Amino acid sequence: MGEQARRRLILGVLGGALSGVLWPLTGSAFANVEVGQRVENVELATLDGRREMLLSGKALANVLVFFRPGHDRSLDTLKAMAVCEKEFTAKPVRWVAVVSGSHARDELRAFVIASGIQMPVLLDEGDALYGKLGVRLHPVIGIADEKGALLDYVPYHRINYCDMIRVRIRHALHEVDLAAVERVDQPQKALFPNAVPGAVAGRRVKLGEMFLESRQWSKAAEQARIALEKEPGLAAAHVLMGQALAGQGKCRQALPAFDQALKIDPGSASAAEGRRGCEGKR
Amino acid sequence: MAWAKILVSVACAAALALPGPAAGAPSTEPKALRKHTFKVNPGPLPAREKTAWSHAPYEAGDCSICHASADPRKPGPVTTSGNALCYSCHDEFQEIMKRPYQHPPAVESCLNCHNAHNSRERGLLHTELATGCKDCHRQVKEIAETSKVKHGALDQGAKCANCHNPHGTSVEKLLIQLPYDQCVSCHAVDDMKDHEGVVLTNYKKWLDENKVKHAPVQAKDCSACHRTHGGENFRLLIAEYPATFYSAYDRKNYALCFSCHNEKVVSEPETRTLTNFRDGSRNLHFLHVNKADRGRACRACHEVHASRQPRHVRDGVPYGPTGWVLKINYLKTPTGGQCARTCHDTKSYER
Repeated sequence: MGEQARRRLILGVLGGALSGVLWPLTGSAFANVEVGQRVENVELATLDGRREMLLSGKALANVLVFFRPGHDRSLDTLKAMAVCEKEFTAKPVRWVAVVSGSHARDELRAFVIASGIQMPVLLDEGDALYGKLGVRLHPVIGIADEKGALLDYVPYHRINYCDMIRVRIRHALHEVDLAAVERVDQPQKALFPNAVPGAVAGRRVKLGEMFLESRQWSKAAEQARIALEKEPGLAAAHVLMGQALAGQGKCRQALPAFDQALKIDPGSASAAEGRRGCEGKR
Repeated sequence: MAWAKILVSVACAAALALPGPAAGAPSTEPKALRKHTFKVNPGPLPAREKTAWSHAPYEAGDCSICHASADPRKPGPVTTSGNALCYSCHDEFQEIMKRPYQHPPAVESCLNCHNAHNSRERGLLHTELATGCKDCHRQVKEIAETSKVKHGALDQGAKCANCHNPHGTSVEKLLIQLPYDQCVSCHAVDDMKDHEGVVLTNYKKWLDENKVKHAPVQAKDCSACHRTHGGENFRLLIAEYPATFYSAYDRKNYALCFSCHNEKVVSEPETRTLTNFRDGSRNLHFLHVNKADRGRACRACHEVHASRQPRHVRDGVPYGPTGWVLKINYLKTPTGGQCARTCHDTKSYER
């Protein structure tokens, strides 16, 4: 193994370990720069004829958007980032779009205008930066900190891409923790109403309580029965049953229902109150 | 009891007297009136209609649960306007409607899709679920009906609700979960067949066994490559991708791969930046793929979902009509790699 290869291997191992510490959610990286490694700052020409640095030492988040013109996914991404860019206007976030210098300038200008982005568009002449980082995909977004350390690398996602970038920028700005990033990366399953734990039984209890208000005791008891059938451990349903029975003058049967409610939820004030009301009427 | 129900039905419908088609009669007018307020019948179905589902308060025969009066002949207006009335019992919606992505018609009014009294449909829907969705989502309806390659999920089980939750979700497009979690929840059996009877891969098993995942798979984004409502390409792919080992090189045939990968990786004979699969500056992707007659398709060397080896290099590739597996014998080295006596004699490369 040559000296260069050995150095690369050591850097790779260190970079991998470091990335695990810095950003444990990340699973991929540019081909030649791992998460945790430094992105070299370079000066590049811009599409409007100026020269700009790739990174800003004043920005807590340097967002690098790699794209190519004439490409639907790049256009979708730039449009989404145009919205995202505005959300972070007043914050220490630096945005740059980077494109291969091999494309016709007119084509590039039309593409950038259609996207609505305001960030500078840097031209990578001879694909030097692309090669150095190992940018293999389009579009792809890299986020680096103020020292240029790569915090994350996010290739195109058709679903939730903007959310993923936004939360990572907010994490770089120390506005959210890693748990927030994870919630976006692994969103909770959106349960249907009847699948939400306790929903169906809870509904029956609420309906039963409405019947109690209009002194329709047997209808209230029926709702309590259905609720308990769905969820035998629901204290509120036992309370409802107790109250419905007590309302019908059946305190002897109501007491075990209140007791059961108190067993499940010793702090239940309505169960305690119902029990007190029934104690003298057994 | 039956008479009481008929009385309640007729009276409630009359009392509500809101604009709408004659109760139960299909409307011929466009469904969307304003932004997301649909023209629907909010009252009970006529007594002559056979209903399968009743809302519990309506079934209990007490209009005052929701209306000003308990009198079924004159229930009066509802006691609370809008969705708040529904949420007073359907408590779970406090959480559901806080999810980041919400269905605008659900935000506007539960009654856009549900009848608060009774229905022929499960969930008290005005119409059968998929029909109701497609009434507004016309483009999806057209894709589903006219596409060459169909997706069984659209007309089996819960249909649209197999993948979407029409109230609120944490994922764009009102998906119940990220695409991968959604897809693998069904594509996890050995005997699933496509619409032409071809057995489909058990992807749960495959992905469990192969840990190096293609970026879209790792990102749980199956929809990066597959259309879910129907499509024109093999396996519902979003764009062209050669289905065979050999393919004459034409960039159009690789539109799927080039929707993320830089096409220059196979169009430039020499490079030091586009790929690490090069011998010096000799681009070995170009060498293998870019041939007018027998170019090797991406699938010849790469596994598109997940592999055991890095860079998605396959262990072997099914070859010929019998599907005999040709071993690739790829070995990665720090500065290059080699393929040992497979398609060709052992050859190595150094960057």
